[in-house]
Amino acid sequence: MTDTTMADMNSRIPSGLVDPVGEANATGASINAKGLTKVFGSGENAFHALGPIDLDIKPGEFVSIIGPSGCGKSTTMLLVTGLEPPSAGSVEIDGKPLTAPISEIGIVFQDHLLLDFRTAINNVMLQQEIRGLDRAKFRERADALFARLGLTGAENRYPWQLSGGMRQRVSIARALVHDPSMLLMDEPFGALDAITRTQIRHDLEMLWLETRKTVLFITHSIEEAVGLSDRVLVMSKSPGTIVEEIVIDLPRPRPAHLGEYPEFSKYAERIYRIFEKLGVYKF
Amino acid sequence: MAPAQSGARARLMAAFGGSYLSSVLIGTVAVLLLLGVWEIALRFFEVPIWLAPKPSDFLARLYTDRALIAGHAFWTSLTIVEGFVLGVLVAIPLALAIVSVGALERGLYPVIVFLNIMPKTVIGPILIIWFGIGPLVAALIVFLMSFFPVLVDSMSGFRLVDRRLFYISRSMGASSWQTFWKVRLPAAMPHIFSGMKIGVVKAVEGVIIAEFIASNKGLGFMIVRASAFMDMTLMFSGLVAAAIVALIFNGAMSIIGQWLMPWSRH
Ligand SMILES: Nc1ncnc2c1ncn2[C@@H]1O[C@H](COP(=O)(O)OP(=O)(O)O)[C@@H](O)[C@H]1O
Ligand SMILES: [Mg+2]
Repeated sequence: MTDTTMADMNSRIPSGLVDPVGEANATGASINAKGLTKVFGSGENAFHALGPIDLDIKPGEFVSIIGPSGCGKSTTMLLVTGLEPPSAGSVEIDGKPLTAPISEIGIVFQDHLLLDFRTAINNVMLQQEIRGLDRAKFRERADALFARLGLTGAENRYPWQLSGGMRQRVSIARALVHDPSMLLMDEPFGALDAITRTQIRHDLEMLWLETRKTVLFITHSIEEAVGLSDRVLVMSKSPGTIVEEIVIDLPRPRPAHLGEYPEFSKYAERIYRIFEKLGVYKF
Repeated sequence: MAPAQSGARARLMAAFGGSYLSSVLIGTVAVLLLLGVWEIALRFFEVPIWLAPKPSDFLARLYTDRALIAGHAFWTSLTIVEGFVLGVLVAIPLALAIVSVGALERGLYPVIVFLNIMPKTVIGPILIIWFGIGPLVAALIVFLMSFFPVLVDSMSGFRLVDRRLFYISRSMGASSWQTFWKVRLPAAMPHIFSGMKIGVVKAVEGVIIAEFIASNKGLGFMIVRASAFMDMTLMFSGLVAAAIVALIFNGAMSIIGQWLMPWSRH
């Protein structure tokens, strides 16, 4: 099976801003962070990995963090969700201080991290099993998402029977099936080939346009950051701080070939210049 | 694609079928050939039965004394199951504890490794004094033999689970109990299972020796007693029965493995 066909591309044209999985409980949450800092280890082995950084992400906003490898992007994501405690600073989700890991979120990592021992659909249904929600109703939502992501027919396959792109689609379905208020993606397309990446980027944008989750998207791809985001935050080398914020004012949905927009190259060049100034690139 | 579209039936078929069947076939032919040569050689040289029995002797004995031999084979099997199950039930939680608690890893694990280096049968006489001669002592020796491989492989299984999986399960609001049952244990299962396979081999080897020294039931005991009576034919029948028990246990493990882990690649 290929990742996408023309037919399922067409079926994925947005049907207005309706939540495809029904009864949206969650439009996006806001994320506010102040002085967020992470130091791993202590004493002589202390390693300052991140910050301090401030974040102000509006409900339903699509924000990317871009920065060189090892600058603390993944760490930022873990701190923002409470999955790891910060060394200093604080996070508020929808105005409420974050003190423990929150579960109104969906996470996608670079590696699909699907469970080998569950079929595609059962990987998604793990959400239902753990949350103790109604199985039949949840299955309907999962099926709708599968259809939406071009996964129909792959339900009963094991992860190793799926292509890389499909695995990542399943992990996106897993992250969205419970209708979370925020979606966190850590270089989700980093391991995919360029063609698959362009398609899945578009599919994600479409899904986001309909559901308006708050998305924190971590990437080291300038094209992805500009192609998807409302706003791009550029991080410095380790310990990462946010050195620049770029609002991407391009119409949506954005085309496969971003070069259609002259502004695209301007945004891309701006990010290159910043990286050059930071010494990320040495030519 | 087979495991995805089919149910338990196909899984079982897969477990029995294909290369398994052909290897059984080849094995059977080889064994029959060996027995044939043996039979002919002994008949030709007219070797007395108290020195070496012919296959026709001990296979016939296997039949005529089937009640006796089956009874002992049953005890041997029960001893394997008891010792092995106990080993697994202790090894898996202990592996989890050792992996989770640094102090146990530094303090307890070296002790276990040291105990494992000791020949287990040496503990037999001590156990006999504590528990008396009987299948219990044999089961305890089997436990000691099968426990360690399960422990070691379970430890690496639990360790190798990607920590980001725990982030994902926590993002679902999973309790540590849920995370263990739904993520960590099944993710570690292929490792745990390969430990169990080695454990069963050790158990099947160990049980006969354990019964030699420490039991009053089972094939090992039957063979020792036959030896005391110079009953060579029964000793060989016992050997064949022990081999059959070993085959059954190893085969059962393969089937259990594919039934427990239909997702694993073959
Ligand atoms: N658990 C940890 N313990 C120690 N150092 C860590 C840990 N996690 C990440 N780091 C270090 O912190 C830095 C930032 O890591 P990360 O956030 O993963 O970077 P990025 O995602 O931007 O590549 C890296 O140098 C990494 O080695
Ligand atoms: Mg990272």
